[in-house]
Amino acid sequence: MPATAYLTGLGRYLPGEPVANEDVARRLGGVDKRTDGLRARIHRANGIRQRYYALDDEGRTTELNEELAVHAIEDALADRGIAASDLGMLACATTQGDLLVPGFASMVHGRLGGGPMQVLTASGVCASSIAALDAAVSKVRLGDHPRAAVVGSELSSRWLHQRRFEGVEDHLDAHFLRWMLSDGAGAAIVEFQPRPDKPSLRVDWVRQVSLAHEHEVCMRAGLDGPTAVAGRTWQDYDDVATAEKAGLLQIRQETAVLDELAAAGLAQFEELVDRGLIDLKRLDHVLCHYSTNAFRDVVFDALSARVPGMDTSRWFSNLETCGNTGAASIFIALEEAWRTGRFAPGDTILLAVPESGRFSFGFAHLTVVAPRRSTR
Amino acid sequence: MTSTGISTEASAETVEGYRPPQPDRAGLLARLSDVWTDFEARLAEVPILRALDAGDVTVADYQRLLHNLRQQVVDGSLWIARAASNFDMDHFDLRSAAISHALEEHRDHLLLERDYVAVGGSLEALRAGRKNLGSQALSGYMFHEASQPNPVGCLGAMFIIEGLGAQKAGVWARRFQEVLGLADNQVHFMAYHQDADAEHTGTLDAILTSDRIDDAAADAIVTCARVVARLYVMQLTELDEI
Repeated sequence: MPATAYLTGLGRYLPGEPVANEDVARRLGGVDKRTDGLRARIHRANGIRQRYYALDDEGRTTELNEELAVHAIEDALADRGIAASDLGMLACATTQGDLLVPGFASMVHGRLGGGPMQVLTASGVCASSIAALDAAVSKVRLGDHPRAAVVGSELSSRWLHQRRFEGVEDHLDAHFLRWMLSDGAGAAIVEFQPRPDKPSLRVDWVRQVSLAHEHEVCMRAGLDGPTAVAGRTWQDYDDVATAEKAGLLQIRQETAVLDELAAAGLAQFEELVDRGLIDLKRLDHVLCHYSTNAFRDVVFDALSARVPGMDTSRWFSNLETCGNTGAASIFIALEEAWRTGRFAPGDTILLAVPESGRFSFGFAHLTVVAPRRSTR
Repeated sequence: MTSTGISTEASAETVEGYRPPQPDRAGLLARLSDVWTDFEARLAEVPILRALDAGDVTVADYQRLLHNLRQQVVDGSLWIARAASNFDMDHFDLRSAAISHALEEHRDHLLLERDYVAVGGSLEALRAGRKNLGSQALSGYMFHEASQPNPVGCLGAMFIIEGLGAQKAGVWARRFQEVLGLADNQVHFMAYHQDADAEHTGTLDAILTSDRIDDAAADAIVTCARVVARLYVMQLTELDEI
């Protein structure tokens, strides 16, 4: 028999002051006429109104990715009222840590402190958040650890700055993410018991699936074409500078297949309904990560057609105010929904994280539970 | 001394009507069965077990129970080993049984410690713990009994403790799992005893029904079982009382 896992604390960290759309170019550079036009068009489409960067006006990185992660974990620990020394496991999700070696979670643990603990680095893109959550939840359910922390954090701004674009072969598909991604971290505490003083989020199940077997890469960096070929990744060039000049250190998005991604995500959702994992009559909240409001409308319309009584009050996203923070997004959204009192005991919550990288999807189903009370 | 010898001299009722306890010459297993019935009734009144039965426990209760049990469980293989060393050559089979039993119990506390850590307890704090008042009494009594020459009475202690493991621990484990949603990985100690002690109880029954248990041995076994039953209840009742 496995134990049950509960999310008992949530935290987030968004570096610096919010940056409005009109100030984004001052941070990232890229103020030529053509770039201005692209930026305005992308901003209009994605609906993001403000975002956060761990980057100053001179383009210098102000904090490490591991620091963003630690701040978010500390916020979640404080929400729960426990210390890092109470954790048995740390699962970290990020698209790109600060270092090439060692793993991101080792660096986060080193900075966080606490005691000896299991660490896991889930690398990938947005859905690595769900992979990290799944690992922590699974180990808690096995009874291997009473408490674990999960964090998703991203520091993509250093990849988006003008210096990554100057003198680099021009790729239009690198601009889509440049004016979309931003920095931040979100964290959750996972425990085998609900917290005693306020409601917790019981994790009913977690699912992650890759459809890479039938899709080429969509969001990528480090390769020069649609497929990986020996000798042609960023690590195979004569030197890294040459790879950079060829555009291999830009994060690029095959925007033409994004409609296909949305359709595939909805098909995965339907499969979960079909398997009985989602009860459409009892789905109270949907928190879906998406890169742009254009997809919000596609997904929301599709869900409204399926979920009885689905309206905007049951849909939550803070993309517009917190930006697209990749692997951190779902925790940053969950934290805000939790903190602002959207959830009541008995409510069910679906977390959905589509990842364009090479078509993968993460889902988690939560139920809000009241504290367990003893009469003695 | 034969049973006939005892019964002829046992009618000692006083003029005032006081009748001292009479030797019980029922079969040993029947007498132990009565001891067990009485023990179960006493266990049913133990507060933490009543709460468990009612589903009114927290993880802190489970941690408390493990913490208290651990301080006495670590003595288990010690007193069994001491008993083994006090059996002479005429009790060679009992010595063999005690030695192998001591070996089996020797690593028992490690299961408990693993469970305690798996539900969020600190191993250092657990190992630094002290026996509660009931555990003090139980352990003290067992070391005393085990220190006697040919301590056959200790079989009575095993009857109670192994019986508890075989018939109660598994039920407690399942109930804690049901109420608190614990993983199998968090209830090793109690769940293991259900199987292991059922096996031990079988071995014990074979010894208890063998010819070598005479009336005096049977009396010692029953008395030890009754004392241990009461002290075990005390151990479970006096939680954290040190």
